[in-house]
Amino acid sequence: MKRRTFLKIAGMGGLSIATGCDSRPEKTLFSQVRTSDDQVAGRATWYASTCRECPAGCGILAKNIDGRIIKVEGNPMHPINKGKLCMRGQAALQGIYNPDRIKTPLLKEKNGWHPISLSQAQNLLKEKAQMASRRGQNRVRMLTEVAGEGLIGLFREALKRWDSDSLLLFEPYAYESLKTANEKIFGLEGLVSYRLQEADFLLSFGADFLETWLSPVEYARKFKQMHALKNGEKGLFVHVSPFQSMTGANADLWVSCAPGTEATIALGLIHEALKEGRGVDLPKNIRTTLEKVALPYNKERVIESSGLVPEIYERIITRLFRSSKPLILGTSTGGSGNHTLQANMATNLLNFVLDPSLTLIDFTNRHRIEKAARRSDVLDFFEALDRNPTDLLMLNNVNPVHSLTEASQVRSALEKETLFVVSFSNFMDETTSLADLILPVSLPLETWDEYGGWSSIVSTLQPTMGGLNNGPHLGDVLLEAAWGSEKPAKNYQTYLTALLQRSEKIRGEKDWLKALQVGGIFDVPAQPNPSRPEKISDGFDILFFPIPKRDKSGFVFLATPSIRFFDGRGANKSWLCEIPSPLTKVAWHTPVMIHPDTLTTMKVKQGDVINIQSQWGNIEAPVYETEGVRPGVLAMEIGQGHEAYGRYAEGIGLNPNALLSPDTEPNSGAPRFTVNGVDITKTGNTLKLARTDGSRIQHGRKIALTTDLRTLHQPETHSTPGLAMHEFPLTLPIPEGYDRKRDFYPPHEHNTYRWAMTVDLDRCIGCGACTAACYAENNVGVTGMQGVLQQREMAWLWIERYLDPEQMDKITFLPMLCQHCDNAPCESVCPVYAPHHSKEGLNNQIYNRCIGTRFCSQNCPYKARRFNWFEWEWPDPLHLQLNPDVTVRSKGVMEKCSFCVQRIKEAHGRAKDETRQIRDGEVKPACVQTCPTGVFTFGNLVDKESRVRKMVEDTRAYQVMGYLNTKPAVIYLKKVVQEV
Amino acid sequence: MGRSLLTYSEIDRTVLDTLRPASRGYWFLIALLALGVLVGAVCWAYQIAVGIGVGGQNHPVAWGTYLINFVFWVGIAHSGTLISAILHLFRAGWRNPIARAAETMTVFAVCIAGLFPFIHLGRVWMVHYMLPYPNQRTLWPNFQSPLVFDVVAISTYLIVSSLFWYTGMLPDLATVRDKAKGYRKKIFTLISLGWTGRHEQWRHYLRGYLFFAALATPLVISVHSVVSWDFALGVVPGWHSTIFAPYFVAGAIHSGLAMVLTLLIPMRKIFHYEVFITRNVLENIAKTIVLTGLIVGYAYMIEYFLAWYSNNIVEQESFRWRALGEYSIQFWIMVVCNSIIPLFFFIKRIRTNLVWLFCISILINIGMWFERFVIIIGGVAHGFIPSVWGDYAPSVIEYGIMIGSFSLFFMLFLLFAKHLPSVSMTEMKETLSKGSSQVHVGS
Repeated sequence: MKRRTFLKIAGMGGLSIATGCDSRPEKTLFSQVRTSDDQVAGRATWYASTCRECPAGCGILAKNIDGRIIKVEGNPMHPINKGKLCMRGQAALQGIYNPDRIKTPLLKEKNGWHPISLSQAQNLLKEKAQMASRRGQNRVRMLTEVAGEGLIGLFREALKRWDSDSLLLFEPYAYESLKTANEKIFGLEGLVSYRLQEADFLLSFGADFLETWLSPVEYARKFKQMHALKNGEKGLFVHVSPFQSMTGANADLWVSCAPGTEATIALGLIHEALKEGRGVDLPKNIRTTLEKVALPYNKERVIESSGLVPEIYERIITRLFRSSKPLILGTSTGGSGNHTLQANMATNLLNFVLDPSLTLIDFTNRHRIEKAARRSDVLDFFEALDRNPTDLLMLNNVNPVHSLTEASQVRSALEKETLFVVSFSNFMDETTSLADLILPVSLPLETWDEYGGWSSIVSTLQPTMGGLNNGPHLGDVLLEAAWGSEKPAKNYQTYLTALLQRSEKIRGEKDWLKALQVGGIFDVPAQPNPSRPEKISDGFDILFFPIPKRDKSGFVFLATPSIRFFDGRGANKSWLCEIPSPLTKVAWHTPVMIHPDTLTTMKVKQGDVINIQSQWGNIEAPVYETEGVRPGVLAMEIGQGHEAYGRYAEGIGLNPNALLSPDTEPNSGAPRFTVNGVDITKTGNTLKLARTDGSRIQHGRKIALTTDLRTLHQPETHSTPGLAMHEFPLTLPIPEGYDRKRDFYPPHEHNTYRWAMTVDLDRCIGCGACTAACYAENNVGVTGMQGVLQQREMAWLWIERYLDPEQMDKITFLPMLCQHCDNAPCESVCPVYAPHHSKEGLNNQIYNRCIGTRFCSQNCPYKARRFNWFEWEWPDPLHLQLNPDVTVRSKGVMEKCSFCVQRIKEAHGRAKDETRQIRDGEVKPACVQTCPTGVFTFGNLVDKESRVRKMVEDTRAYQVMGYLNTKPAVIYLKKVVQEV
Repeated sequence: MGRSLLTYSEIDRTVLDTLRPASRGYWFLIALLALGVLVGAVCWAYQIAVGIGVGGQNHPVAWGTYLINFVFWVGIAHSGTLISAILHLFRAGWRNPIARAAETMTVFAVCIAGLFPFIHLGRVWMVHYMLPYPNQRTLWPNFQSPLVFDVVAISTYLIVSSLFWYTGMLPDLATVRDKAKGYRKKIFTLISLGWTGRHEQWRHYLRGYLFFAALATPLVISVHSVVSWDFALGVVPGWHSTIFAPYFVAGAIHSGLAMVLTLLIPMRKIFHYEVFITRNVLENIAKTIVLTGLIVGYAYMIEYFLAWYSNNIVEQESFRWRALGEYSIQFWIMVVCNSIIPLFFFIKRIRTNLVWLFCISILINIGMWFERFVIIIGGVAHGFIPSVWGDYAPSVIEYGIMIGSFSLFFMLFLLFAKHLPSVSMTEMKETLSKGSSQVHVGS
């Protein structure tokens, strides 16, 4: 054998062994043979659109590389969310690329589903509709989610063609009591928005405005404008509710009241306010009515009934009257039970008494969710299906079978033989699986549309990528079905632009294109003076029937909306399942939250499975122990427990709707998310919860620190720095942070750049948007329930939640990520230099070099490193979402936060092209970009003018476990707490 | 049995008797152990194919039984060298009858210990990155890393101890060769490297053996010190301590001596070695165990003292949790087996009773395994950031690999016992010729 031949064979052999062991690269590097005109292969193109993961309607930018969108970010120009996005918005990608997405139209026959062609499906729909319309009036009905003006208009017109006017906008959270309260008090049946940012005292009776309430990203941003430390001051926030939601956890004071007594407290406050002499300017008729209504609610009655600590009630009163711009918010998204309407009316009235000009209420920018039908109407709709002959029911992206209670007969209505149900859903959820025809239409990220989250703006949607299932636009389907060849418009897009022109929102093609580029038309007319409602009616007193003393027997069960799943529509997205619930830190499972005192009396402990029995049904749920609910109250998040809806949702978690009453509140038509008098019994089973936290308290360590507002400007008590945990000085990860007395090794040279981040704990609300953004940006693997149970979740950035051992309902959230230490413990212990200190100060992990000793992880004090225990799966087509700029790690290597090095590299490229340095703020890691409250600041520490450098000089700055002298480049600013 | 009966030919006869064809029971045992090895190998292969996640390691406990077993086996290795080299230099004649077996134990234990870092790796197929081989990209291993120290220390130890073992065996191999017939003669001719017993050869042999003993002696201290630095050089609470090196060395010898007892007591019985391995010898080992047990017990206490004296709340919590937390059972097994039970050897009746000796030696082995468990798991499971505290339990695959490693060790040892002289005839004769004073040293 010749030498060359030998080498060839040896090389081939080696190669085949190597490829056999390793992950093979994708065969096709480029997805498109020819890119479209506005794209360059390998470069990102951004398309502005509108997020449709909830009715809030945030503006988004979708990042398209080579024909696939790989990331969704907030649109900085959009007035609702100003560039920020929540975790559900980030996870919209997993809807498009969902492995369980229906690819072709399906027709139900006796032996199951059969794929049919699109034209067959469309013809069938047309046929059924025409047949129904020929047979009589209102024989075609449609149930849709809240959609934009265009679609709703088209639905109405199409139904009219079929001689029907039965269109219902269904949303599980329709804020009926808030809407009625606005109607009764302000004479405006709608959902106004609130100028949280201008308030100096915020009192919420359970409104979870940081999670799901009306428009959470918007309110999270506004809340921190008011509540974050600014010029040494910050607003005050008091949350009164029986269940401490994440919003309650962000309050300066969470007051636990007995369920259903919010109205009592609000009326009590009105009583006190009137006694204080407030509201003298009010019209006389209103004042007398108010006095009459609030009269019985003196302090004793309020305290007796609500179970508040008298001293705390006093303090709330004092602070409320001392504040110059108080704002009172109503009850939570869910949680509506007895007297919720009264609570919301009372909060409106309280606002009115405290500020008769209602400056903090914005009557112009109303939330689109106000269009949703009341729950009572929804139930009537289904009853009408049963009662009146109906032939065709069209369902657009609604899942009433999951969202409504079992007792509400939705299932039987849909299952009726004579009814032909068409679902336009892309997912086989509970409702769709009862349909007769599934016609999967394109998803919002793939289509043209308009959806303005506020009534005053136009917010556009455009296809951000080619459709994955080649589904038609729902508008086009209806145009075809209802008009056939006599269409009023060529397609839905032209229909929509014509409509917008008619309503004078745009003028011509050019405006439309401009709107698409920007994401909408946002020149909201400036409203210096709020358009106060014309008259405030005094006819509200009849609704304030005397609120009875609370019933103390049995437990009260609350179903609460979930920041992760909203009403359940997020449950089929693996990121949302894998990222734990902000308060319980439980992923995948749905536990029932119970107060430790209740557990002690019931002799139950965390992880036990209990049977919860209400009048309407029962569920067996694992117990989670938390001080965040009132004793005697059981709370459970809505969203999971699907019977269908794909691999990540089906059979995972629990659906609390099983326990809820099908009745609605008579005056507002609101559903009841509260059940009184439930019983619990032990089952004897236990379930290990998929928790991502170890200990709930920080054991006195220097991790998540707080400082009191009053002592903020007083000099530190530890004026002389020492070497122990609580006296170790801040040591910057740059040469000036080195001290020969402490440091053995010389400093690293950082000449031009030293990347660093500040994390302002005073701003962190614990929502986890950063975590979701990180999963999306960095191809972080999802380990599944088993993975989380084995403590192998892969999040590069996660929120640690610490309770105050003195007062367990005081919570501090701390985003934890790789600290990019200058003196990194991981770097010195790796035998092969896989963790590598870059000259820009990044702690790079070289995946190719890593052999998997895991020593770095062992030695990392922050435990910021994650190991690839297996080859993680991205079931087809989820892998299309993978960011091509980030390596997909194979099994056996360590990974961790890279400060989004790919974005730094991109900025380098741009800066080099323009022969300049990277500007301050030019690099935004995914977490920094999306954080709704602006917790993170990223920048160059060497640059003395950079924002991050200036923030480091804040007296609140500290490093987590700084005394280890790791010199972290992630510098935290203490949370500022205040007493009420 | 009186020592006066012992003659040169008696020694030869007794030892060579052990090399006679083995019984069926022996081969059955070997087959059983081979099956165990196979189980381990299959588990490892499965782990390589699927990923290290088939083990129980997690976040925060990224090191599991693989590293526990690594340290355990390195520890076992130590007392072999202690007996064969250090006690040789100290002229402790009582070690002569057990030196060969102990040294063999060392070599096999190091081999098995050396396997575990490979098993432990996430990407074992890239293990060559740890070697300082010249390459185009001028990438070197990180000489700051204790794991690179490990590579150097363990490979040095393996080389030196196997050379020491083999050198010491040369005259005995020649003796076997002289008495053997057929293919065995051929093999032993080959491996005895032309030993003729000339004066010159003996001179070289004795000098060489002494040198190896001198070379191996510092290794006893250094290797386990280096292993301890895998932990002590980390910042992890419960690891980051200067006492780790002496603590680990003492622990290693403690466990190694126990393993010597575990191996020798059955061997003595089966091979009728009572004439060589007298009760005195075993008693001396037991006495040394008392010493190492006291050192280990002292180390346990001093760790607590340091945690308290440091006034560092992280250390304090770590040690509080060690004794009272999720792994308190393991901790108390460790304390009781390693530092309390060996104190029974103060009682002469117990340290001269074979059954007691054997049982206690097993308990110490278990205790020492759990010592490594407590250190390796306990440190990181309850580290700096309470939010990521977690727990760990070995998986089936890890148990499989553990069975494999123990099977391999005992299989190798059994093979050795039946195929190579398990007592050094040379040294026994030396003892005989130098008179009983040497034999009775320490008794």
